[in-house]
Amino acid sequence: MMLMLQDFFGPFWPAVWALVKIVVIVMPMMGAVAYLTLAERKVIGYMQIRIGPNRVGPLGLLQPIADAIKLLMKEIVVPAGADKFLFLLGPVLSIMPALAAWAVIPFTPELVLSNVDASLLYIMAITSMGVYGVVIAGWASNSKYAFLGAMRSAAQIVSYEIAMGFALVTVLMMSHSLNLLEIVKAQQGPLGFLQWNWIPLFPMFVVYVIAGTAETNRAPFDVAEGESEIVAGFHVEYSGMTFAIFFLAEYANMILISALTSIMFMGGWLSPVGFLPDGMLWLFAKMSFVLFLFLWFRATFPRYRYDQIMRLGWKVLIPVTLVWLVVVGILMQEPLRGLPVLNIWFH
Amino acid sequence: MDFTTVIFSAFALTLLGAGMGVILSRNPVHAALFLVLAFFTGAGLWMMLEAEFLAITLVLVYVGAVMVLFLFVVMMLNVDLDRLREGFWQHLPLGAGVALIMVAEMVLVVSSKQFSKLGADLQPASETVSNTRDLGMQLYTHYVYPFELASVILLVAIVAAIALTLRKRKDSKHLDPAQQVLVKASDRLRIVSMRSEGDQ
Amino acid sequence: MVQNYLAVLLFILVGLGVGVIAPLLGWILGPRRPDPQKNSPYECGFEAFEDARMRFDVRYYLVAILFILFDLEIAFLFPWAVVLKEVGLFGFVAMMIFLGILVVGFVYEWVKGALEWD
Repeated sequence: MMLMLQDFFGPFWPAVWALVKIVVIVMPMMGAVAYLTLAERKVIGYMQIRIGPNRVGPLGLLQPIADAIKLLMKEIVVPAGADKFLFLLGPVLSIMPALAAWAVIPFTPELVLSNVDASLLYIMAITSMGVYGVVIAGWASNSKYAFLGAMRSAAQIVSYEIAMGFALVTVLMMSHSLNLLEIVKAQQGPLGFLQWNWIPLFPMFVVYVIAGTAETNRAPFDVAEGESEIVAGFHVEYSGMTFAIFFLAEYANMILISALTSIMFMGGWLSPVGFLPDGMLWLFAKMSFVLFLFLWFRATFPRYRYDQIMRLGWKVLIPVTLVWLVVVGILMQEPLRGLPVLNIWFH
Repeated sequence: MDFTTVIFSAFALTLLGAGMGVILSRNPVHAALFLVLAFFTGAGLWMMLEAEFLAITLVLVYVGAVMVLFLFVVMMLNVDLDRLREGFWQHLPLGAGVALIMVAEMVLVVSSKQFSKLGADLQPASETVSNTRDLGMQLYTHYVYPFELASVILLVAIVAAIALTLRKRKDSKHLDPAQQVLVKASDRLRIVSMRSEGDQ
Repeated sequence: MVQNYLAVLLFILVGLGVGVIAPLLGWILGPRRPDPQKNSPYECGFEAFEDARMRFDVRYYLVAILFILFDLEIAFLFPWAVVLKEVGLFGFVAMMIFLGILVVGFVYEWVKGALEWD
């Protein structure tokens, strides 16, 4: 069967086979996004002593499907003064990086779509394109709220990207490689979860989660939407499926950040204790933990003011990352690296 | 025609199309976005040359950072293109002259013997050692001096950017809490003794 | 090596495809009944006055410029972090000088108030 197909497609076979694998990654992703929205409403509901959606299907389990169908059947309104092409391009540029970054995420040592050397750099580059979706959507809408939201959001995203980049550099220093597989393997050892990067890089771990929250425009850093001042920010003019795409991109980005946090700081697919086998389920468990943190933040913290956000990004996170970068650099040097406790992590 | 050629042609044609788009589109925002596309496909071509690190850094720095600034500027300044187009015919001879000289220069460079020799003595990229590692080993040992110079240039850029753009806004209604708590009653309230009306 | 990037390129195309096909489906399935009120930009019940694309505070440009500079710095740090073990103390000191010079710029920016949002 396989060979027959291979013959049929000839030189294009690798591309076709890759395409099949991509669909196998993207489809569960969409499902995960749909059920993350339900999980969010449920978790926040219980945190606020409500039960959340419970009408559509048992325990509200069909709610995301109902939402998807509703959004599909709604009219797509294109505002009169809008730049039509760019208005429709905005969501496309928003979802593309959120999905394309998954190309290099390793689920297990063998299960990775494309094992490239510079995978972490690729993720940095492709996610930095996410800002275009926001800026273009805000500008093309020709609405004041949308434009304000887009500009705020763009400045916020680029500010936190710096702190994020510095945090990634310390991870690279620990693993001597840009390859995500190598990054996980560098955390492997007999001590289980004590050997993962989250202990030696604890400040970076915290910075990365905070910066990730800000990058995805999640509460408490969601001034881009800020419904109390600028109604819905950059996507105020979007409706139906075009809005759904922005929504999808935000949640896909959340899942991506949680996967990256798990891989870089919490040992990816590695088992936390020696006597249990490693496996993909560990990665999913760690991702769920980080995602739960995101939901918890939203239920707990009031929204930051814009000047506070910029101050946190530039005046707190960047100095912290710079200092820790130097500390890790010093600990990496020859005599220190071999010292008893330090040699658990620095090799 | 093998698969690599197909991809190369796709990238090359998109790059040319995007380049034309940059200079032909009437809307500056569209032009900036065409430039983004041009950088992106350019990175694709670099990738095909196995310059993995450089290709991704091109996207990271130019698409992810430089073009965002470009977009900010063209969006927020609202460049009026009709005004810019005004003296088109008047300046055409000068522009055409400069363009001709540039084309002549490019033809001379590309057709010279030196140019075809350029890549001859280079070794192909290593199959085992990653691109980034190779680059790092060179940059932080042999080329450490130019590397330090780069930091000085970046420092100059930081200072220049701040000096050129930073202004104190007069219409800002910002309150400084540190100043507010320092206020003493005597700063705000002055008690004066004066005769009351009944005494007159 | 480069062959591995084929899948990445395809994934980028699939990502673009999702962004195109989903709205297309919505456009086919959804109603299309435009009217002037619905199509006017949202402005809390008022008629929109003047163009929404206005001039903006220069601070945003400054953030974008500073972002470029720091992004370049990160681009230099990536290969350094990967080979730090091999280049040893020499490479470490070289990077500390590099960062030291840039921290001067960062301090300048801080003291000048370029990071203040008021």
